[in-house]
Amino acid sequence: MNKFGLSFCAASLAALCLAQSAQAAEQRPEFVVGVVNSVTGGASAIAAGAVSTFDLLEDRYAKDDTLPFKVRFINYDDGSDPAKSVNTVRKLIQEDGAHLVICCTTTPASLAVNPVVDEARTPNLSLASAASVIDPAAEHPFTFKAPLTDRLMIAYTIDYMLDKGYKNVAFMGLDDSYGEGGWVEFKNIAADKGLNIVADERFARGDTNFTPQALKVSREKPDAVYFHAIPPSSALATAALRRVGYQGPIFHGAGTPTPSFIAVGKKAVEGAIVGATPFTVREQLPADYPLRPVIEAFVTSYDAKYGPGKVDMFSAQANDTMLVAIEALKLATQAGVDANDLPAARVAVRDALENVKDLKGVNGIYTFSPDNHLGIDERSTLLVEVEDGQFKLLAD
Amino acid sequence: MDALTSLFLLVDGLTNGAVYTLVGLSLVLVYTTTRVVNIAQGEFVAFGALTFATFMEGRLAPVIYVVAITGAVCLVLDVVRARRQHHNPWRLATIYVLAAVVLAVLTWLALATGWLVLQMVATLALVAALGPIIYRLTVEPKPDNPIIVLVIISIGVSLIMHPLALLLWGADPIPVEAISDQWFDVGGVDVAAQSLFIMGFSLLAAIALFLFFNYTLTGKALRAASINRSGAQYCGIPVIMAGRLSFFLAAALSAASGMLLAPLVTAHYEMGFVVGLKGFVGAATGGLVDYPLAVLGVFLVGIFESFASFLSSSYRDAVVFALVIPIMIWRNARAGADLDNLD
Repeated sequence: MNKFGLSFCAASLAALCLAQSAQAAEQRPEFVVGVVNSVTGGASAIAAGAVSTFDLLEDRYAKDDTLPFKVRFINYDDGSDPAKSVNTVRKLIQEDGAHLVICCTTTPASLAVNPVVDEARTPNLSLASAASVIDPAAEHPFTFKAPLTDRLMIAYTIDYMLDKGYKNVAFMGLDDSYGEGGWVEFKNIAADKGLNIVADERFARGDTNFTPQALKVSREKPDAVYFHAIPPSSALATAALRRVGYQGPIFHGAGTPTPSFIAVGKKAVEGAIVGATPFTVREQLPADYPLRPVIEAFVTSYDAKYGPGKVDMFSAQANDTMLVAIEALKLATQAGVDANDLPAARVAVRDALENVKDLKGVNGIYTFSPDNHLGIDERSTLLVEVEDGQFKLLAD
Repeated sequence: MDALTSLFLLVDGLTNGAVYTLVGLSLVLVYTTTRVVNIAQGEFVAFGALTFATFMEGRLAPVIYVVAITGAVCLVLDVVRARRQHHNPWRLATIYVLAAVVLAVLTWLALATGWLVLQMVATLALVAALGPIIYRLTVEPKPDNPIIVLVIISIGVSLIMHPLALLLWGADPIPVEAISDQWFDVGGVDVAAQSLFIMGFSLLAAIALFLFFNYTLTGKALRAASINRSGAQYCGIPVIMAGRLSFFLAAALSAASGMLLAPLVTAHYEMGFVVGLKGFVGAATGGLVDYPLAVLGVFLVGIFESFASFLSSSYRDAVVFALVIPIMIWRNARAGADLDNLD
């Protein structure tokens, strides 16, 4: 064979390879993922971080050729109205042919969407915090979620309190759905584990004065006080409690570990013990902490797009939700799903979600199963203590 | 409940009352001159606090863009109207430009010097400027609207201002340094010096407003404008200017309240609304027209709230807002048949 023939052969071989890989690319199944956020309305403050994160990740995954599948995202806003969430999810399922839905920002909306996805047999990943959205898994077969629940965090905190020998505790929380959710979990878990609640007091985010509630709590002389609120009110209420003379230990829920808690509370929050996820205390994690690389990669890419210091725990939850979704689609593809057969593909994606194992996110390690649709577990809950104006990991 | 606890609650209630006073007074001021029950009044508290907090951080307060854009819209509307009525639009434009220059210079001075007093003045000027702008855009187009329509409009304004604050400043609270960090011991109860500042300033403002409206010609003219619009106009009172002036003063008072409140609770976008509502309950004691009674009312609300929070914290807001009902009955009984003649 002469030189020309050789190169001709090589060229045609290369062309063949190219053609084949192009064909392979076309053979990648295409999934449709519908995302519903409360971009506007009352819950927009909570959704803001998630919306930015989805923007960032959707761009990346939609262009990613290394994935074994193609993914197309459809975004909607529900205006923080559960009725609109329901309609939007219906639209995603019936008109847009979504294989997987990510909805919704809030607990009330997620609860409203639950029967819709069950009926349409389409899996949904909720971004809400309450455990009631997914528990028990047998009753919500198509609903999953990645964000940490209040139940997990509170159970962990109460175990710690019992370890320390505290018997009588007081509860102070917000008077909205966040505080009420915390109160219900706290009351039930405390009753189960034999912790005595001597006072429960409420305050509002916009309150200008927390002294009366603090006085009431302080008069009951509890061994410890647990707060279920977000800054600034959680910090201000702590300051009020210290002002009326309470000296004992103070605990906070997972809504609190943000820089503003310390900026607002200053000296008054020193020594407060705060429930946290690895992400919220990422700067204090040991160098060999298994989630560090994932967290750093996420924060770097987020900072690159939106500027430093903007990332919050809601963006972290959204990131993990997206990671779980992509992992499930990968597993479904490996199982050889036909994306065009919508009803079967949806059930396959649902089954794949239950098979996601040991997936490292920025908030924790996710393992789902037929009776655990939460994924995250106690390995991802931490307690940190405020020390010299920093959150420090509490040694067990 | 022992004596010390009661004293603590009482002092706390008075501090609460002082916080609500300025907003309560703003509400009376706006209602007596324009018949607007301004639900959005509390938002000026948040705007004042947030603007002040950003100036203290040495950053440009984003509210200046809102003032600039909405101010420009007002200018266009005013010029169009002036041309239609064959007035000279240049005079109007000059006033607007003058106001813009004053605001710009104040903002620049506040940023360049970093002096606390200048920052306060700039904050007051910027937030107060929003008052007449909102009046121009929402009330002035149809001043004969019934009271209920004006209330609904003000709810709309509140629904716009609240998320606007979230958009401009974000959800994170901004801590603000107090004028004085001192605490005083009053019979076993510690009181922040900041609370005393708030109380003092509120009482001063109440007295000043009372004197202004009862003893000065401008004040009387403002009142006349609200009692009988046409009559006042026939007497040569510029009714439109009266409305803008009262919105300006009310916004300034509420912004001052926000600046004084911020060191106690930080500046955040959610701080204003509830303060506004509680100020309203207090002002309702004076039927929204009586300054001394309104002050009495807000202190009553403050003390009531303090004790209600202690006795049953979950229902404290319900208890405070339920206070409106006995107040209404009492006012009705006092006013007799006169009330029926109002629209």
